[in-house]
Parts: sequence; structure tokens; C-alpha cells
Amino acid sequence: MSEKFDYAKAIAELDEIAAKVENPETKLDDIDALVGRSKELLKQCKDYLRTVKEKIDSLDKE
Amino acid sequence: MEERNYMELLQLQALIKESIADAFPGRYWVKAEIASWSPRANGHCYLSLVQTRGGKSVAESRAVIWKWHYPQLRAYFEETTGEQLRAGITVLVRVQVAFSELYGMALYVEDIDANFTLGARALERKKAIERLQKDGYMDMQKELAIPDIPRRLAVITSKTAAGYQDFRNHLLHNPEGYTFQLDLYEALMQGEGAPDSIVQALEEAIRKGHDAILILRGGGSETDLLCFDDFDLAVAIATCPVPVVTAIGHDKDVHIADMVAHQAVKTPTALADLFLDAFQAQDDLLDRLGQRISTAAERLVNRQELRLSSAEAAIGRAIQRRLGALEMLLQRSIGRISKGLLHKYADVARLSDTAAHRVQFAAQARVSAEFSRVALKEALITASDPRKILSLGYVLVTGKDNKVLKTVDKVGIGDRIGVRFSDGSLTAKVDEVYSDHLDNDKTNIA
Repeated sequence: MSEKFDYAKAIAELDEIAAKVENPETKLDDIDALVGRSKELLKQCKDYLRTVKEKIDSLDKE
Repeated sequence: MEERNYMELLQLQALIKESIADAFPGRYWVKAEIASWSPRANGHCYLSLVQTRGGKSVAESRAVIWKWHYPQLRAYFEETTGEQLRAGITVLVRVQVAFSELYGMALYVEDIDANFTLGARALERKKAIERLQKDGYMDMQKELAIPDIPRRLAVITSKTAAGYQDFRNHLLHNPEGYTFQLDLYEALMQGEGAPDSIVQALEEAIRKGHDAILILRGGGSETDLLCFDDFDLAVAIATCPVPVVTAIGHDKDVHIADMVAHQAVKTPTALADLFLDAFQAQDDLLDRLGQRISTAAERLVNRQELRLSSAEAAIGRAIQRRLGALEMLLQRSIGRISKGLLHKYADVARLSDTAAHRVQFAAQARVSAEFSRVALKEALITASDPRKILSLGYVLVTGKDNKVLKTVDKVGIGDRIGVRFSDGSLTAKVDEVYSDHLDNDKTNIA
């Protein structure tokens, strides 16, 4: 993983997606992509909850 | 030389002993601090009692607890106070003032008032709590927050503590598969040196950086929990920049370390659950978010479907209306066409009527003509009927074979001929035959 996974950011994005999907203005065309993205994020978050990523925890480098 | 009066040391000491016994015949309750403490192999316990004022000793005395008192006395004290008899604590003891010729002055400790120590400690504790409150230490940790995903945990405990293993197992072997980074910082968890040792471990853990620091006593003797009421330790916990969770585990009372900490739990298992629950809460949050998104998506799709089906229905209705209109038009056209056709038919009928008439006339004319023809034929036939002629007086003559004879040529004399009249016939014999153009002599009718 080249980029550090930001759990809080992922949660915020999920919140955003939920709000978007809940918005009646959202086009049906966009739903597929949004739901797909949410699944991806949910998986990442769940994986993160279950895995220590010591290498990316910069605080341990000292 | 004048001889001096003197006595032997033993004599003097005996005298002192006697005087002291006379002067202090009873038993006295004395409040003092234990300055030193040394139980001996022989079963006796030697100690020194002091009184300090302004940090300086102002009184001191040797004291002894004889082996016939010591075990009961110690057990009673430790059971009541949850604390070991040791140097540094203030006690109320009942003593006998004694003097030994060999060892000098000593206080024989015969009894100890454990409740006094409890009270003194409670007072001391109360003072410490008040001071911590006054200086704002009590709520400092409460303002910190454990991260949503507390993953890197520092545990301050003694490695051999049974509670640490419980905690470790419970935390690391969780059924959900959450993983943690556990760093152990060993420290003395009881006795005099405990507060300093814990403070040191705390400082080290802070330097390393953690999501939370846990102080886990994890079993051992229930006595000597006094270190967790230590003022300096309390300050160190309160000022720790990382949330500190304590699991000192004593049901009877809450320690000052518990009070100043971010959170306090009773057991190692509860401590592990605290962090597992945090992860579970995140898991639940994710589930809820996922649910929310899929529900909303489903609702959106349903809404679109509804819109679609209503549009479909609208189109259907429109088509129906249109069809209806077309049908009406068609009907009208058909009406008009059929009306036109009727007119046309009428014309045709009229036309055909004329034709029929013509046919009829023609037929009638034809029939009349045929009638005429038939009549003519009839007339002709009737006219040529032999019976008609016969009735006029003519007769038919038949020869042999019943054939009508039209000449006399074939008739011979003696031939039998038939003669037919209109109302009957007869036979005759020819006598004579007469021919008009040959010789008449042949003609002869019999």
C-alpha cells in the first residue's frame, strides 16, 4: 500500500455517500458507482479494524 | 583517700527497672510512626517508633513485638487495613514501658488499633483528594479521548501477574479477529517502591507514543494497595497526555489512581472488553453506514421504478386514449363509408331493379314467344294427328306388319288389310286393286 489508509477519512466519505444516495436529487446513473465505492470503503475499513499496519504507523519509527 | 560509694551497673539498671515499673505500671496507648521495622528469624519483631514534627524527629523509642503477640497482631492489622505493617505508617499501639538491665528502655507492643490507621489513612487520602481537586488534577484525564480505533496499547504491570495473561488472552484472541499492538512496561505493582516504579514506566510509555496506557495490577495480594493512593502517582497519571485506564481491581474502595485516570475498570477482562467494544462499535458503525447506503440505494431504485411504472402507465393510458380516438374516428369513417355505401347500394339496387325488370320483360317476352311456339307446334301436331283426320271421315289402311299403307303398289289381291277408323278398326280382304296411274283393274276391295 503506497498511501496510508485514513480510517477517519474513509468513514467521512461513507457518510457523504450515504447522504448522496439518500438525496432524491441523485441520479440513478450515479448510484451504481456510489454503492460500488461504498462497498470498497467498507471493506477497507473492516480490514483495517482487523489488521495492524505497524509499518505505516509513523510513530513507531523511532 | 575517701572511699566512694558506688554500685554495680546491674544494681543501677535493676533500680531503674524497678522505678520504671513503679512509675509506669499500666499499659499506654501511644500514637507513633513506625520508623523502622525488622521481624527476626527468632519470631520477635523489632521496630523503632518515632514522632516527627516539621520533618524532624522529635521523639524516638525502640519497641518490640514479642513472638507470642506478633503473628496475631500482624494478621489482624493487615486484614483490617488491607495494608502491611511496615515502616512509614502511623499506628496507635498499646505499649508497656519496659526496661531491661541488658538492653535498656523499650516499649513492648501488645496491641495495635487498626481502625486508627484506617482513619488516619482516610484522612490522609481525603487531604490528597482535596488537593488534587483544588489543583485541577481530577478532571485532566477526563478531557482526553481514547481514539476510535485504540490499537497501540501500553500496559504497565508486573509481567508475572496472572491478570496480565488474562487481559492478553482476552484481548488478542477475540472472536472478531481485531488485532492490537501490546507493549509491556514492567513495574512494581505493590509495596513502597510501587509509585515511583509506575511513574517511571508511565514516562517511558508516553515517550513511545500510544493510543492508551493501561495500569493493570492483575492479581497478587489484596494487601498493600496504598501505593495507588499515592499523591505523586496521581499527579503523574493526571498529567499524562495519553488516556490512562486503570484496572487495579479492588472492590472495597476506589483508589486515587482510579479517580484521576481517564477511566477505571475492575478486572483485566473488563479492561480488554473496553478496547474490543471500541472496535465493535466501529464495526457496527460500518454496518449501519453500509445498511444506510444500500437502503437508500434500494429506495432510490424503487422510486425510479415507481416513476418508470407510472410513466409506463401514463404512456399506456395515452396510447389507450389515442387508440380510442382513432377508433372513434374509424367508427365515424366506417359510419360515413357505410352510409355512402348504402347510398351506393341503393343506386345499384335501383339499377339492378331496372335490369331485373328488363330481364323479366325479356323473359316474359321469351316465355310468350315460347308459348306461341308451343302453341304453334301444338297446332301443327294437333293438325297432323291421324285421329283428327280419321274423325273427318278418312281411314288408315294398314298392310302386313300393321304398317300404314300410303300407296296401293304393295297391295295384292287377296291381301288382308286393316282399316282404322277414328272410333275402331276392321279387317278386310282385297278383291281388286286399282292404280290411278297404271291400270285400274287391279284395284278391288273385297
